[in-house]
Amino acid sequence: MAYAADIYERMVSAKVYIDKNFDSNIDLAGISRQACLSPYHFHRLFTTIYRKTPHQYLTWKRLEKARLLLEKEGISVTEVCNSVGFESLSSFSLLFKRESGYAPQYYRNIAYLKKKLAKEQPKRFIPHCYIETFKLG
Amino acid sequence: MVTKLSHASIFVTDQQKAYDFYVTTLGFKVNTDVTMENGFRWLTITPPEQPDLEIAILAPLHGGMHYNTEVVNAFKVLLENEALGAGVLYTPDCRATYEELKARGVKFKGEPKEQFYGIEAIITDGCGNWFSMTQPKEM
Repeated sequence: MAYAADIYERMVSAKVYIDKNFDSNIDLAGISRQACLSPYHFHRLFTTIYRKTPHQYLTWKRLEKARLLLEKEGISVTEVCNSVGFESLSSFSLLFKRESGYAPQYYRNIAYLKKKLAKEQPKRFIPHCYIETFKLG
Repeated sequence: MVTKLSHASIFVTDQQKAYDFYVTTLGFKVNTDVTMENGFRWLTITPPEQPDLEIAILAPLHGGMHYNTEVVNAFKVLLENEALGAGVLYTPDCRATYEELKARGVKFKGEPKEQFYGIEAIITDGCGNWFSMTQPKEM
């Protein structure tokens, strides 16, 4: 379904607003104001265009950032939780596990081990045909 | 029986520039990023919602891949002329994604157009490749 050009501009500005402010306490009313639309109208359009509700998209952005932070060292799981905009550690852990399949600390351990192994034995991560073709052996 | 594509390759003029485009701009996830002693960088990425497809971003013009001069020159011609169509990128809404990416400096070969299979815009990665960015027609 095609919308008028200004509708796309409004929806994109609201999505970019989420992208830039997902770590703050933002809500549907605030996001829909970015698009100059009522929350009901905005919710309906956003969901049609992005195939995710604004809330689902906001949660997904937060979990994606959390995943990147968990792959780094020097920041605790609680700090990760707070820095991506979740207020409750338990709901963060639950959502993270639902999305990635792993609890945050377990995900961090796996990421650390993978990074270590890739550094020590990079060829284990490269299919043999690439090693042969590029004479990496 | 072959059931899935697990690895694919995209050849680029510049791996770091490609990283910025695919990861930072399009939101692909880094699967593996490791540099070997000979300078060969094994960088694989996965589309945001397709975690089991690893795409290797390969830089044939820059060290480590042991191609001969003739092959490197052939890659250079193909990439510098954007002669390689690298595939089709799915988007749930072509016009919205076009507006957003254009505002972020991504180059397109024209505006989204209605085709019999959906709405399509041709997007370039700035590293030698172009893709059809398509919102398939709903059946």
